[in-house]
Amino acid sequence: MHDRSILLVEDNPDDEALTRRALAKNNIQNEIVVARDGAEALDWLFGTGPHAGRAATPELVLLDLKLPKVDGLEVLRRIRANPSTRLLPVVILTSSREEKDVVTGYGLGANSYIRKPVDFGQFVEAVRQLGLYWLVLNEPPPRPDAA
Amino acid sequence: MPALFANDQLTTEYRFRGKDGAYRWVHDESRLLRDATGRPIEVVGSWVDVTARREAEVSLRAGEERLRLLVGSVRDYAIYMLDPDGHVRSWNAGAQHIKGYTEAEILGQHFSRFYTPEDVAGGRPAAALRATAAGGRFEEENWRVRKDGSRFWADVVMTAVRDDRGALVGFAKVTRDLTERKRAEQALRSYAAQLEVANKELEAFSYSVSHDLRTPLRSLDGFSQALLEDYHDRLDDTGRDFLQRVRAASQRMGTLIDDLLSLSRVTRGDLQVAAVDLSALAAAVATELKKSDPERAITFAIAPDLVARADAGLMRVVLQNLLGNAWKFTGRRPAAHVEVGVMAHDGRRAFFVRDDGAGFDMAYAAKLFGTFQRLHAAAEFPGSGIGLATVQRIIHRHGGQVWAEGAPDRGATFYFTL
Repeated sequence: MHDRSILLVEDNPDDEALTRRALAKNNIQNEIVVARDGAEALDWLFGTGPHAGRAATPELVLLDLKLPKVDGLEVLRRIRANPSTRLLPVVILTSSREEKDVVTGYGLGANSYIRKPVDFGQFVEAVRQLGLYWLVLNEPPPRPDAA
Repeated sequence: MPALFANDQLTTEYRFRGKDGAYRWVHDESRLLRDATGRPIEVVGSWVDVTARREAEVSLRAGEERLRLLVGSVRDYAIYMLDPDGHVRSWNAGAQHIKGYTEAEILGQHFSRFYTPEDVAGGRPAAALRATAAGGRFEEENWRVRKDGSRFWADVVMTAVRDDRGALVGFAKVTRDLTERKRAEQALRSYAAQLEVANKELEAFSYSVSHDLRTPLRSLDGFSQALLEDYHDRLDDTGRDFLQRVRAASQRMGTLIDDLLSLSRVTRGDLQVAAVDLSALAAAVATELKKSDPERAITFAIAPDLVARADAGLMRVVLQNLLGNAWKFTGRRPAAHVEVGVMAHDGRRAFFVRDDGAGFDMAYAAKLFGTFQRLHAAAEFPGSGIGLATVQRIIHRHGGQVWAEGAPDRGATFYFTL
């Protein structure tokens, strides 16, 4: 199945609430699915574990890097390695701007890398721009199950 | 005379004094002839002049003696001979000093006793003899054992010795004790490994600071903003002011964390030293500053051709901080002047950035370069107190010095050498 949902991979409930708020403030009404660690995100995407048989393809993945169990870079690597999610837009949304993370993130095929600003006003603006770009302006890749 | 003859034969060498007074060596082969009754009647013989050979032999013996004395007195090298089977045939003072055996103890013993039991079990002594006999020369560094059983790190050179016809007559061995050097190398390697671990820990720490310390700040700022928006009508002006202060403090701490991270980044990584055009760099930084506030009446006088060998990226950080400070602390002047130049200082070139801004009291000059040290209230001039600490670290990494001169309201000058 596929829908217009956004998969938010985020372990911090505060950051989840703030991201939901920033999306709502920008009138982005797509369903938000939250995965609280990397393993949960992969289960949801590939229909494994608790999500057996229900693989889902979201419109966009917002991916934190520092996650319990399976970290964000590994999630990204697995997304790019799987034919059904190979072209899925993935935006890294994280606290760190360590050059190593940025380089590795792009190297693994991230579509964007956004550092969450401390200033909530700036964060709302960042979410507005990425929502506008990835959910409105950008022509998404053809979905493998529709092709 | 007949007494000289054994079996009526005589073979001998002796000197004659010639007519010119010089001595000649002759080789004498003579025979005693007797009559029928056995009475000696005459001597028949030949003389060969062997003066040249005798002189060569004398000089050869003298050479051998000098060599023996030389080798014998060397203390830092064990120099000794083995027979073709590996038995010790000669010994010098250095060998005794390094290995602990006296000449009397070791002559005739097999050289495998200098090897560790593991190496003996592994057949290394025999292999060394084979390798030397085959290749003419064999060299290795390895552990060896002294008479008292202690081990030392040896540099060993073995050379095959052959006679005129090429038959192996033995081996010459030269051994040096490199234990101290080996120990120093090991210590150095261990320090390097420790340093690498410390650097890795520092990187992990920086990463954690960058990620984990910022996360709660986003909550503080974000939920304060949410309160201001969603509960606006239930808060009075004081309540809203308090929340604004929480937000401002969170954002300030975010900036502090970023500045601390860039400070720590300055000390990581290798210096990429090349010729750097400081004049061009300063001009670029000045242009950026002017763009940030085109209304400011400020002139930059940058001396041309300021070239130094340094890391260009780090020098840009230095000039951004120094010119940024000059820009900031002249903010209250209706018209400000900033000068970038070079002067002689103790035989070295000192670059400087001079402004005619707020200046500072020289009594606090020492505090200027400390992390988080500020001489002005944040309300007066904003800042985190990390800029000059960063400058100092960069200059120190280049082996230079940085210092400042100033007076309150009379401007400041920052000098640095590279």
